[in-house]
Amino acid sequence: MVGMERVRRELRGSVIALAMVAVTTVVVYGLTQSLEVRRGSVIYLLPVLLAGWHLGLIPALVAAVAGVLWSGYFFFSPYYSFYLSRPNEILNLLLFMVVAGVTSHLANSMKQQTELAKKREKEMGNLYAFSRRLAAASSAADIYRAIEEHLASLVQRKVVLFGAAADGEAKPEQAALSQRLHGAIADVQAGRTLATTVDDGAGDIWLVRRVSQKNADFGVIAIDLGSVPPDAIEEVRKRVDDVLSDAAATLERLDVARALNDAKMRSETELLREALIGSVSHELRTPLASILGAATVLSKSAVIAKDERLTSLAGVVRDEAERLNNDIQNLLDATRISREQVRPRQEWIEPQDIVNAALERRRRRLSAHHVSLDVDSNLPFIYVDPVLVEQAFGQIVDNAAKYSPPGSPITVAAKRNGRDIVLSVRDRGVGLTAQENAQIGERFFRGARHAAATSGSGLGLWIAKAFVSANGGKLEAASAGAGQGTTVSIHLPFATPANEPEVGPDE
Amino acid sequence: MSEGNPVVLVVDDEVQIRRFLRAGLELDGFSVQDAETGADALRWATMRPPDLVILDLGLPDMDGSEVLERLRAWSSVPLIVLSVRSNEAEKVRLLESGADDYVVKPFGMAELLARAHAAMRRHVRVSSGEPVVKVGPLAIDLAARIVTINGARVMLTPKEYRLLQLLAQHAGNVVTHQFLLKEVWGSPHLHDTHYLRIFVRKLRQKIETDPTQPRILLTELGVGYRLVAPEATVAATS
Repeated sequence: MVGMERVRRELRGSVIALAMVAVTTVVVYGLTQSLEVRRGSVIYLLPVLLAGWHLGLIPALVAAVAGVLWSGYFFFSPYYSFYLSRPNEILNLLLFMVVAGVTSHLANSMKQQTELAKKREKEMGNLYAFSRRLAAASSAADIYRAIEEHLASLVQRKVVLFGAAADGEAKPEQAALSQRLHGAIADVQAGRTLATTVDDGAGDIWLVRRVSQKNADFGVIAIDLGSVPPDAIEEVRKRVDDVLSDAAATLERLDVARALNDAKMRSETELLREALIGSVSHELRTPLASILGAATVLSKSAVIAKDERLTSLAGVVRDEAERLNNDIQNLLDATRISREQVRPRQEWIEPQDIVNAALERRRRRLSAHHVSLDVDSNLPFIYVDPVLVEQAFGQIVDNAAKYSPPGSPITVAAKRNGRDIVLSVRDRGVGLTAQENAQIGERFFRGARHAAATSGSGLGLWIAKAFVSANGGKLEAASAGAGQGTTVSIHLPFATPANEPEVGPDE
Repeated sequence: MSEGNPVVLVVDDEVQIRRFLRAGLELDGFSVQDAETGADALRWATMRPPDLVILDLGLPDMDGSEVLERLRAWSSVPLIVLSVRSNEAEKVRLLESGADDYVVKPFGMAELLARAHAAMRRHVRVSSGEPVVKVGPLAIDLAARIVTINGARVMLTPKEYRLLQLLAQHAGNVVTHQFLLKEVWGSPHLHDTHYLRIFVRKLRQKIETDPTQPRILLTELGVGYRLVAPEATVAATS
């Protein structure tokens, strides 16, 4: 099949070459008639050169032979005859023959090298773009997508790649393939056949085969070969196969297999961690709900209520259960943040509502401190997720209570400052050293001074910071130093006159 | 357990939660009926119509919200949902589909009882036509449409009164933004929560001693508003 195609191509080239020689001959005839030119066999090098450049070696040689014959006809005596009389003319013609041969060969190989260089350059560009995409890919699905596009650009056809492992749900282009194609893909995936071609029922022939190299497997690829006549399938398939095996080698060289494995490991670890935290939090929260509920029932029973020591014990059970519950909530929130699942549900809200809700929820925990409120009346509304901001603010209040001695004052304020609403909590507690202030809000950061004395995970402020910035605000801490107390504030932009809420109609 | 005790149907698949709920509710004078599954709950609700339902959302056989919807198809029994934190959208959805209130796990018994009694009182108020809701110094006469603080008349605009009226009718229970917006401003304004914020601010200036620290009209972040429970409820739970 390939031989036939080649012969056809060379024949076509040779015919064109002869046509060029014929055109040249017409021109030469004109020249000899009008200008009496008697030297000029070199002009026949022109079609030889053109044929060598555009059509290949054989058409060029054909052009050379034809050129020699016509040169003999026009420029060597006897003129206008193919017959040669003098030996030096025969030598001349032979020389022309050699020059034509060498020229056509040079032209042809130069052409080939230029094309090769162009192709290399394009391949390098593709490969570079591909490896950049690989480096940026964060999941196995991303990598498969990059491979898919890379292969599509190499074979210049529509391709659909099915990853080596079941990576999530089917993509739309996978789902859109015909039933027969899916059958073929399943066969190759199951290893019942290495490669196969199948008609998709809509007139296109698809090649389905595995993309693999030694011990690296990149999945199964389906390539739309288009509407190929049955006798040409083998040939097209072979061409595509060649490209693919080159590509597979490249994939292996780029260590795509390991990148894929890493990505899969990462997502599996992530899933595992998420599942673990999810189940741990559920497993812990359910008994916690029982413990806390039971403690509140006990404290109400007549026997315990009349004994102060027992009542306070029931209180301890309740408080500790609440503390544990908070820690679990922090773990869950931390997971949400690192998975970027924090999606604020913004609405207009009075800043004081957030402050009041946070304090109300912590009334028991704050009972040992003197909490004073400094809230401006008629503060502008803010457009935030009130639940997230309340959680962030509550975290700051918790910290103030935790890091300041019982009986000391805590001042909670909500003020307007320029274009911001500032919610702040000031305590007279342990304060922050400059070093601590620089690191506060880092994930898992805990001041070395408190590591032993006060329990904590180092997540609280980090979470608060994340929730505040999710609402377009910022969190700041200020302290005059160790033992000097701390002020932590949340700055939230409020509505400018242009987007301030309009007053609904009354009456 | 005498026949006269109100019956509460506790729907929860966790045995320990049922145990403390039973103890707490019986101490408070309820007669407790347990159900572990949604199917159980619906069966008991028809066999022994309860005066109160406490419904956990995580059930083994069906979603709690499905139990709620099927129950609401024929019963208006006071119903409190046990919910998990940080899902305000779900709370709102449950309230919209007929739950009277919710408590967030973990919760204290007093909190649950306050919500439950508020919901039960509303049902009594609706059936008996009791016209006056008293919250601390505030009295709202729903029949005469008169609001007083320590006996002194408070002048409200029609919309302010409508807002307070809706909250008073559900006194002690949360009322969602959407419900208030729909009832006061109509369906096209379902998402204009800022209307509410502005009117609540005005209302607080008229009924609260310190509007920056409301004691009567409380905000439930992300969900709605709650008028604190009338005194009668506080007395009943002591």
